[in-house]
Amino acid sequence: MDSLNRRLDPEVLVAGTLLILSCLSILFMSHLVAAPKVLFGRSLTAIAPTLFPYMILSSLAVLNAIFVLRCILRPEKIWLEGSGESNDWKRGVLLFCVMLFYALTMTVFGFFTSSALSLAMISMLVGNRSPVGIIPTAVVPPILLYLVATRVLAVSLPELSEIEFFIAGVLGETGQAERPSQ
Amino acid sequence: MIEQFLQGLAMAMRPDTILWMCAGLFGGMLVGALPGFTTLMAMAILLPISFFLDPLVGIPFLLGVYKGGIFGGSIPAILVSMPGTGAAVATTIDGYQLTKKGQSRKALDIALVSSVFGDTFSDIATILMIFPIALLVMQFGPPEIFAVLLLSLVVIAVTSGGNPIKSLIMILFGIWLSFIGTDPLGGVERFTFGLFDLKSGIPLLPMLIGVFAIPEIASVVMRSNQGQALAAVVGERLSWSELKRCFRTMCRSSVIGASIGIVPGLGQVVAAMMGYSAAKNASKTPENFGKGEIEGVAAAESANNAVNGPTLVPLLTLGIPGDNVTAILLGAFVAQGLRPGPQLFEEHGATVFGILIAMVIANLLFLVIGYLSVPFFSRLVTIKNAVLVPVVIMFAFAGAYVFRSDSFDLLMLVAFGAIGLIARAARFNLMPMVMGFILGPPMEYAFGQTMAMAQNAPIQFLFTERIGMVGVLAITPVIGILLWRRMRSVSMS
Repeated sequence: MDSLNRRLDPEVLVAGTLLILSCLSILFMSHLVAAPKVLFGRSLTAIAPTLFPYMILSSLAVLNAIFVLRCILRPEKIWLEGSGESNDWKRGVLLFCVMLFYALTMTVFGFFTSSALSLAMISMLVGNRSPVGIIPTAVVPPILLYLVATRVLAVSLPELSEIEFFIAGVLGETGQAERPSQ
Repeated sequence: MIEQFLQGLAMAMRPDTILWMCAGLFGGMLVGALPGFTTLMAMAILLPISFFLDPLVGIPFLLGVYKGGIFGGSIPAILVSMPGTGAAVATTIDGYQLTKKGQSRKALDIALVSSVFGDTFSDIATILMIFPIALLVMQFGPPEIFAVLLLSLVVIAVTSGGNPIKSLIMILFGIWLSFIGTDPLGGVERFTFGLFDLKSGIPLLPMLIGVFAIPEIASVVMRSNQGQALAAVVGERLSWSELKRCFRTMCRSSVIGASIGIVPGLGQVVAAMMGYSAAKNASKTPENFGKGEIEGVAAAESANNAVNGPTLVPLLTLGIPGDNVTAILLGAFVAQGLRPGPQLFEEHGATVFGILIAMVIANLLFLVIGYLSVPFFSRLVTIKNAVLVPVVIMFAFAGAYVFRSDSFDLLMLVAFGAIGLIARAARFNLMPMVMGFILGPPMEYAFGQTMAMAQNAPIQFLFTERIGMVGVLAITPVIGILLWRRMRSVSMS
C-alpha cells in the first residue's frame, strides 16, 4: 500500500509526466523544430537548432528517470519533502475556472464587466456571502484601477466603447475617448 | 567613473524618483503586512507599473516594494506570529514573545531600525564592489560567459533548497520552456506547434506573475477559513541604550546577510536563520533567545534585509538573477531596454549608479515612512481575505495584460498559475524553473558563439585559448558538491 501511495505521489507523477514529455519531444524533434536556414549549401550557424534542445531534453529525461526509479525502488529513502498543506482543492479548481473565465472574457466583455463578474465570484469563493460585502468588492476596485490605468498611467485596458464614452462623459472629457477598443 | 557617479547622484535625487520610491515602500509594506501575501507577489503584480515609468523611476519603485515588503513581513510575524514573508520566519521567534510581554511597539521599532541598518550596509557594500566586478566581467568572452552561466545554474540547483535533483529537473524544464519560439542563433521556429502567438516565445511577464503570484493567491483561497487574529501595537518605544546594545549584532548580521546575498539562490530565509544563530552563539545570555530577546529580532531583520543589495551584483554584472525577486527585477530591466550584463556598465553606467544611489536614499525614506506608518500597517493584519484576494487577482490580470495588450498573455498567466500550483503540490521549487527560463537563451547563444569560435575543433580551442573556461567548468561540480554538503548540514542543524 505504501509503495502504491509512493507511486501516486504528486512528486512522482510530475517527474513521470516530464519524463514522458521529454522522451516524446526527443522522438519527434524533427517535427517540432524547423529545418535550419541554409545559404549556398552551408548552414548559417555553428550549431544546429536541435543540438541544444537534444542536450537539455536528454538530461531532463535521464534526471526524471533517476528520480522516479529511486522513489519507487527505494521507498525507505526519504526523497519526498515536507508534509504538504491540507488544502481544499475543490476551491482551488473553482478558482482556476473563474480565472479562466476572466481571461477569456476580458477582451470580449471589457475590463469592467469581466472584472466585476469575476471578482464577485472570487469573493464568494473566499467566503463572502453578503451582497453588502460582495458588490463593493466587485464594483469599486475595477473602476478605480481602470481610471488609474487609463487616466494616470496612460495605459490601455480593454473596454467596451459605450462604457468608455460613459466614463469620459462623467469625467467631463470632450472629444474622442482614449481607446474605444470594441 | 566619478563623472558617472555624479550623474547618477543627480538622477537619483529627482523628485519623481523619490516620490515613486515612497509609493513602492508603502505598497511593499502594505502587502508584506498581510499574512499570506508575500513580497514576491507584490513585486510580480506591481512589475507592470514600472514598465510605463522612466527606468530611474520604475526600477527604484520596485526596489522600494522589495525593501518595504521584507520589513512589512515582520509586522504580522511580531504581532500575531504569522510571518508575512518567508524572510520573517526567524523574526517570529523573539518578536512574538515580545508582543506577548506587551512590548510589540519595541519589537517593531527594532525590526525597523535593524532592517534599515542592514539594507544601508548592504547597499553601500554593493556600490563599492559592483564596479570592480563589472570591470573583470568586461574581459569575458562567450566561452567564459557560458561557463559562468553553467556554474550559476549548478549553484542555484544546490542552494535553492530541497532535493538538488528536483531543482535540476526544474532548471532543465525552464530551459526547455525557453526553447519555445525562435532559436536565438539561426532564427528558426522551435516547439511552437504552429501557433502564431508562440512565435515570439513565452512572454516573461505573465510567466512571472503566474508562477509567483497565482499559486500564492490560490493557497490563500484554499485555506481561507482561518480566523483573523487581533493585533495591537502597545508598550514603550525602543530606547537609545537598547539600540546601542544591539549594534554589534546588527553589524554581524549585516555582514552575514550581505555575504549570502552574493551567492545566487540562498536568499533571505537562510540569511535570517544564520544571522539569528550567530547572534545566539555570540550572546552572553543565549538562554534569553526565544523568550523575547530584542537582539534576536535585530539579528534576523538585519540579516534578511542585508541580502537585498548584493543580490544585484550577479544580476547587474552577469545578468544572472540570484533569486525570485531579482528575476522580477531582470524583467523590469529588460522591459526598460537595459540588458543586465557587462555592457550595461559601458552603455548605462550613470543609470546604474543612479539606481544604486536611489537604493541608499530609499533606506532613509524607509526609516521615516516605517516609523510613522507602523500602527497603520499593523491594522492591516486583520483585513479579510474576501476583500483582498479578488483585488489582488484583478491586479495580476490587469498587470499581465497591459504590457502587450494581448489576451493570449492572460491565458499564459492562468496556465503558469496552474503549473505553479501543481509544482507546489508536488514540492518542486519554481525558482530554478524561472532561472532556467531566463538563463537558457543567453546560455545557448554563448554556446553557439563558442562553437563558432572553435571552428570544428572545440577541445583544442578550449585547452589552448580558453583555459579560463575550462577552469570554471572543472570547478563547477566541485563547488556544487561542496555547497550541497554545506546546505545539508545547515538544514539538519
